Amino acid sequence: MLGYVVNRLLAAIPTLLGVAVITFLLMRAVPGDVVTSLVGLEANVSPERMAELRRLFGLDLPLHVQFGQWLGAVLQGDLGSSLRTGREVAQDLALRFPVTLQLTLMGLFTALLIAVPLGVLAAIRRGGFVDYFASLFAILGLSVPGFFLALLLILLFALALGWLPPAGFVPLAENPLENLRHMLLPALSLGLILAGAVTRILRSSMLEVLSRDYIRTARAKGLAERVVIFRHALRNALIPVVTVIGIQFGSLLGGAVIIEQVFSLPGVGRFALEGINLRDYPVVQGTVLFVASAAVLVNLLVDLLYSLIDPRIRYE
Amino acid sequence: MKRLLVLLVLVLAAVSLAQKAGGILRAGMQTDPVGLDPHTTNATASRNVLENIYDTLVMLDSKGRIVPGLAQSWSVSADGLTWTFRLRPGVTFHNGDPLKASDVAFSINRIKDPATKSPRANDFALVRSVTAPNNNTVVITLSQPFSPLLAKLAFSTNAIVSEKVTRENNNDLNKAVIGTGPFRFVEYIPQTRLVVRKWDKYWQKDNQGRPLPYLDGIIYTFYPDPAARSTALRAGAVDWIEYVTAADVRPLKADRNLVVVGGPSANFRALYFNTTREPYNNPKVRQAIAYAIDKKAIVDLALFGTGGIVARGTTIPSGAYAYTNSPYNTRDVAKAKQLLAEAGLPNGFTMNLYVTSTYDFLRTPADVIRDNLAEVGIRVNIQAEDWNVYLPKALRSEFDVTLLGTSGQADPDDYLFNTFHPSSALNLSKYRNDRVTQLLEQGRRVSSQSERQRIYTQVQELVLQDSPMVFLFHSAQYEAMNRRVQGFLHFPNTSYLAFRYTWLQ
Repeated sequence: MLGYVVNRLLAAIPTLLGVAVITFLLMRAVPGDVVTSLVGLEANVSPERMAELRRLFGLDLPLHVQFGQWLGAVLQGDLGSSLRTGREVAQDLALRFPVTLQLTLMGLFTALLIAVPLGVLAAIRRGGFVDYFASLFAILGLSVPGFFLALLLILLFALALGWLPPAGFVPLAENPLENLRHMLLPALSLGLILAGAVTRILRSSMLEVLSRDYIRTARAKGLAERVVIFRHALRNALIPVVTVIGIQFGSLLGGAVIIEQVFSLPGVGRFALEGINLRDYPVVQGTVLFVASAAVLVNLLVDLLYSLIDPRIRYE
Repeated sequence: MKRLLVLLVLVLAAVSLAQKAGGILRAGMQTDPVGLDPHTTNATASRNVLENIYDTLVMLDSKGRIVPGLAQSWSVSADGLTWTFRLRPGVTFHNGDPLKASDVAFSINRIKDPATKSPRANDFALVRSVTAPNNNTVVITLSQPFSPLLAKLAFSTNAIVSEKVTRENNNDLNKAVIGTGPFRFVEYIPQTRLVVRKWDKYWQKDNQGRPLPYLDGIIYTFYPDPAARSTALRAGAVDWIEYVTAADVRPLKADRNLVVVGGPSANFRALYFNTTREPYNNPKVRQAIAYAIDKKAIVDLALFGTGGIVARGTTIPSGAYAYTNSPYNTRDVAKAKQLLAEAGLPNGFTMNLYVTSTYDFLRTPADVIRDNLAEVGIRVNIQAEDWNVYLPKALRSEFDVTLLGTSGQADPDDYLFNTFHPSSALNLSKYRNDRVTQLLEQGRRVSSQSERQRIYTQVQELVLQDSPMVFLFHSAQYEAMNRRVQGFLHFPNTSYLAFRYTWLQ
């Protein structure tokens, strides 16, 4: 088990290096750089002065030198500072990651809270009203764009009913109650969308498991239906669900960019987006590397989780 | 009875006095400041926060006139090379240190210093030296006369910072935000909020001698999505928002709890021809297009009637230097056709119009222009790209025709020299008319307003004749607030200096 974990972590190194190289090159391939974003249109800066600014920012150095300098610093634990705000990237990530993590966890929790009962019920009452409702819900969840749902929720809960704030953020440590009030709508938007996919997968995997021999055996033993469903069927049906959630979780850590934008949440996704718009290379490179590392870790955790759900799965 | 009346008046006066003080304004901004060091940023988002934390030597009022700031008065030598500024006494930085003339000299030199990487270093390119002969006098010596100097000094990120604080923080003012302005910096949590509080020792008084600012503080929060911003205002999560979109102006005005203020702002939007490329190197083609475009239709259709005002002259939107008698103020399709025929293009041609898709006001006018030009036989091919892809190409004049404009200027020199002088980086149409060049240089040397007015009128007449650009409209800008917000004034130069006169009821 420990050997397996170490192996996986070692295997992540080339992955992360690849991510770093690709991000670095992509950012440089995109037209414009931090000097164009800094100067903008209003200052009337001559091309010579622009070239001088590029030199001062170190953008005139050969690419491999720039990358080497950045990587060298990263290996020493320094993600660098923003070229525009002078703020340390690591410090800003530390501010934003908890927001994204909280949003992701609350979204997932909401999704499971809806999808597990709905998926199970749909499978048990196959062809019944609940099943049709679950299918409709799943299709809506899969097809309605997140930002649209978010706007509808804002219109209903913030504007019409006035129960929740329409956007904005209060740090958890500062005021937990206000924090929850601000996070509820974003989490609901995220959760409802995710719940669609999870419901659909759980329903079909439940149906498959329920047709297995051991379920028939369990019923024949005279076990209560409740026990059959939850202990025998659901547990086995959760494997594909965990896979889906693992994949979603990894991508959500990169920031539910659109949700963060609509609700003005200070998450990792919005941070990266701002970095991209300003061509703030250290911000983008640092964020992508950080998110990639988090995704690698989550994938590993999900794989380990399988063995917890199904003891037949072992890692050597 | 009389006594009662006097009492009543006194009570009312006291109430109105009390009303003007206090409140914490919750302001909904579009984006976070891009850095908090005034000298290393040119972002409007930074400027709009920093302008109430820092002061400048001179300021612009809501009419765009230069008024005293940290400098109480100033004079210029007869040769126009030596400017002497007398500082206001008793001004203190937010850390309690008194403002010294050496701080002013240090600030301007810091902007000029290439190592600072200031995007506005060019503002002081003609400044040879800045000295502080004593604690309240600053002398700026120029290498040649430069009448727009005051406008440059009034630009709010050309702020006066503390030399001591700057040195203590290793020349990084992102971490130490200490100015002399009406509000002092309290905290900034990125993409969450920025908080400022009233500076009790602020020097500025209102016209009845009461201390400014009235507000106790401002909490800025950031809503990048325009719908989120107006929803936050309607739901009462904020008191005031910036950048109300043209489409939102009417619905917000219809809300009885809200007030929308705004109007034309200091900018211009134009169709730029690359005058070095065929067929745009022919003035007749450029004039024909100028006659063929229906500027009012652009404002009415593409900008919802509220997003801008029709340009009646050139780049200057309003004020004493604005020219308003453009020959293209009335659309004339017959004349356009005739000019095209004279240019040897009676059947028109295909025009590649390069635009950015990022800003609606620079994208949607293209559709109206396409329809307009179809009537004279010009087939318009619109190519739209993201701002960050578009801008570097536009700055290198890599286009046949494009839609662009700049904003936030104060002096006629900003509008005219920057756009039409061949040495200027913003002369994107690569326009060159030696007479215009000469006049523009002359305009920098004279300081009398009537003389400058004469020169700049001539410049604008010549430019309109040559038609290197079609001047379409001046964007309008709107702010919206709930009715509790009092005293806020819309400034035409994208400035919220008016927060110092604002209070909450």
